[in-house]
Formats: sequence, C-alpha cells, structure tokens
Amino acid sequence: MSTEHIMPGETLSVDDAHKDSTVVFGFWMYLMTDLVLFAALFAVFAVLRGPEFGGSDIRNIFSLPYVLIETIVLLSSSFTCGLAMLAARDASVRGVFAWLLTTLVLGAVFVGMEISEFNDLIAQGYGPSKNGFLSSYFTLVGTHGTHVTIGLLWLIALMVAVAKRGLSRSTMRKLALFSMFWHFLDIVWIFIFTIVYVMGGFV
Amino acid sequence: MKNYFQDIGLWPRSHNIAYAYVLGFVLSLALTLSAYSLATENPLPQQELALVVALLALVQCAVQLYCFMHLGREAGSRARLFILGCAILIVGILVGGSLWIMFSLNGRMAPDPAQMEQYMNNEDAF
Repeated sequence: MSTEHIMPGETLSVDDAHKDSTVVFGFWMYLMTDLVLFAALFAVFAVLRGPEFGGSDIRNIFSLPYVLIETIVLLSSSFTCGLAMLAARDASVRGVFAWLLTTLVLGAVFVGMEISEFNDLIAQGYGPSKNGFLSSYFTLVGTHGTHVTIGLLWLIALMVAVAKRGLSRSTMRKLALFSMFWHFLDIVWIFIFTIVYVMGGFV
Repeated sequence: MKNYFQDIGLWPRSHNIAYAYVLGFVLSLALTLSAYSLATENPLPQQELALVVALLALVQCAVQLYCFMHLGREAGSRARLFILGCAILIVGILVGGSLWIMFSLNGRMAPDPAQMEQYMNNEDAF
C-alpha cells in the first residue's frame, strides 16, 4: 500500500520508508557535490587574497560586528528550522508553519544584510571588477547568498504545501530535505565567516 | 507520522532531538562569539591566532554536523558519513593542492637567461 497522502498518525510502510531514505541519501549526494563547488571557490579566494591581487588594502573595509550579526541571524534561522522539524514530529501544523515563517524572516534578513553590504562596497568603489581579491570575494560570498535566496523560494513553496496539504508524507519528505539544505548552508557560512571575515582582519 | 524522520534514517533513534538542537545552537553561538572576540582582542601572535580560529571553525562544523544534521554511526547515517568522508578527501586535494602549487610558484620558475648563463659558468651554483 503506497500512497502519497498518508495522514498524521498513520505509520509508514517499510517499503515507503526505504524509498524516502533513498531520496534523503540522493539529496545528501547533491549537498556533497555542492561542498566541492564551495571548496573550489574557497581555494580561489585563498590564492587571490594576497596583497599582489589587491587584498591588503581591502581588509579594513569589512565591518566585523555587522558580519557577526549576519552570522547570528543565519545560525538562529538554522535553529528555528530545527524547531519546525520538531513541530512536524509532534504533528503540529501551526507549529511547523510558525517556525518556517520565522526561518523565512531570518533568512530574508540575512540576504538583505548581505545585499546592503555588497551595495556599500560597490558604492565605495570596491566592486567585483576592481581586483582579483574582490572578484573572488564576491564570487564566494555571492554564491552562498544565491543558495540562501533559492532556499527562501523553496521555503515559500514548502509553506504553501504545508498550508494546502498539512503534514502528509510528501510534505514531511520535503521538510526533511529542506532542513538538510538549510543546515548545510549554515555550515558553509561558518567557513566564510572564519576564513573571509575573521582571518581577513589579521592574517 | 510521528517517527517519520527516524523511519527514513534522518534522525538517529537514540538521539534526543530537541536536546540536540538546543545544544547545537548554544555551542555554535559560543564558538562564533569566541572566534569573534579573539579576532577583535588580538591576544595571540598572528600564526597562533589563525590556527585557533581555524580550529574553532572545525569544532563548530563538527557540532552542527552532529546536532543539526544528526550524522552519527547509526545505520541510517553511516552511508552519508562515508560520502562526507569522500567529499572531504576531494576538498582536501582541491584546496590543499591549489594552495601548495600557487604558493610555491617562485621555486618552480625557470631562471631568466642572464641568470642561467651565470649558473652555467659557475660549477658551484649547482
């Protein structure tokens, strides 16, 4: 008996559990290839951040306190995404919706702060075309920001699905995949925060 | 659907998930703030400071993999852990190899012709 719309309270057959765990594994494979993409961008950044590519006079233009707030906002959104998962386990549609909305707001604040940071840099004449360091900086941080933006669109679609269908098997599966994607982006950000911003201040 | 996330192997059955999320959040906050205050206070020489901050990032990565991604040694996540290991190997070769080559370019350059001439005429140079 395989149906997409098992309602809360019903149990998953062994067969369906196996199918969905394969989906989780496949999505994990995608995340790992994405990790390799980010690693390539980190390698480019590490090479181009030297003074010969314009790196040395740029380190003073970042505001570390501003980036710390960005970091805490993204970390909190990762946490609220986890709370949405817990609400889903407890079959609370309202809880899931509320925590996903919180995640959406925090994610949007993060993207907004990043766009405003980029705007400020470009307005001060530090655009991506100025030197190799800035090209690699905008590519690395911008690729992460693009991922978060796509995640926000996915999150809106997920909230529509939860509102329309409740916590069916298909929305539970989507929720599981989204949470993996969102936590993954937070882990990538740890390294952007450390390597680009924190180390950029003194190395 | 109460055990859906356990049934599909995303959550380990032995984990207290609520506890894991709170623990992960608190630890991540603490690690982020300590990296931040280390960078602003600057109490250590550059090299050591970079090393400590890098270690803090790796610890936070491990914390989030365990607490948020629920990676562990249970059957459900062992396959994911294995793929993560493969990805880390590729990342290591990619990043480590790039840095190794790019920062040893000077030693790899052929000397300019005048210098070469000088070397050729001086046996001690080799």
